[in-house]
Amino acid sequence: MTELLAAIQDSALSIWVRESSSLLAYPMIITMHTFGLGVLVGASTVIDLRVLGVARQIPLASLKGIFVVMWMGFWLNAVTGVMLFAADPRTTGLFFIKMGSIAFGIAVIMLLRRTLYGDGGDGGTLLPVAKTYALLSLVTWVVATTTGRLMAYL
Amino acid sequence: MEQLNDLLAALLDGTSRDEALILYLQSSWVAQYVVSTRWAWPIAETLHFLGLALLFGTIGPLDFRLLGFMSHVPVSAFRALVPWAVAGFMINLVTGTVFLVTAPDQYMSNISWWLKALFLVIAGLNVLLFELTQRSKALEMKPGEDTPVVLKMIGGVSLVSWFMVLFFGRMLAFLGNAF
Repeated sequence: MTELLAAIQDSALSIWVRESSSLLAYPMIITMHTFGLGVLVGASTVIDLRVLGVARQIPLASLKGIFVVMWMGFWLNAVTGVMLFAADPRTTGLFFIKMGSIAFGIAVIMLLRRTLYGDGGDGGTLLPVAKTYALLSLVTWVVATTTGRLMAYL
Repeated sequence: MEQLNDLLAALLDGTSRDEALILYLQSSWVAQYVVSTRWAWPIAETLHFLGLALLFGTIGPLDFRLLGFMSHVPVSAFRALVPWAVAGFMINLVTGTVFLVTAPDQYMSNISWWLKALFLVIAGLNVLLFELTQRSKALEMKPGEDTPVVLKMIGGVSLVSWFMVLFFGRMLAFLGNAF
């Protein structure tokens, strides 16, 4: 494990992200990581709020495209996240909580999507379990965002 | 009170105005509290990021609707999300003010902060333009009706300016000298 982390730290990608003075290196990567957070957590939050009863006038069928937006945010952050990790591969407790909560959050989103639109459904009927998923999703993203932000201070 | 007198004196005679303002803000109870604890700043940062996600998530769908997406859904349906966007904005206004009051020196001389403020003003004027001149037009649109160009522009300006606010907010630490 330690050898693997050392190898990552000595890789060309890691050195470039960590040591380049270019604004396109670390600064742009972490800024895009923050943008991706806004897209993924923001899009997830709006569907969660809708499922929990906010803005009921928006038909759930019209929000199906939001899951595509979430995946774009997710992949942007997966790529930039790998680069940030390569630059500074510290496997702290916070890091594992963050990774775990993201994996859990993505699983919950996939379950929510299947509940809403699976089997050719159009989101017309809202099963009670959807609200549980929405609540879990909100809590999970708060944990992921909080642990991610606090990694800069611990 | 003494700091307030110093600030007023500096504002009146025009010399060392910035230094007086910085000293005045740093002497406030908010700044004193934040620098005296280890956790206040990181907690405010965390809330600032949660607020940004809430704001982005709830204003984004309205902006996309104004751009002409989901045109079969009335604009009024998306306006029900606006109070949540305002909540996200207020969280960030309060926490942002905490940052500014606690460390005014690292923002006031930072080009990235002024650019962030510029795009905040553009975003705010864009909201005013919508509310004062386009609101009834937007709410009266029939489902499926083509969205007027001016509404598309408002939606586009909103998306771009909020992105810029985030961009220069995050670049504060790199374009300028913050943190």
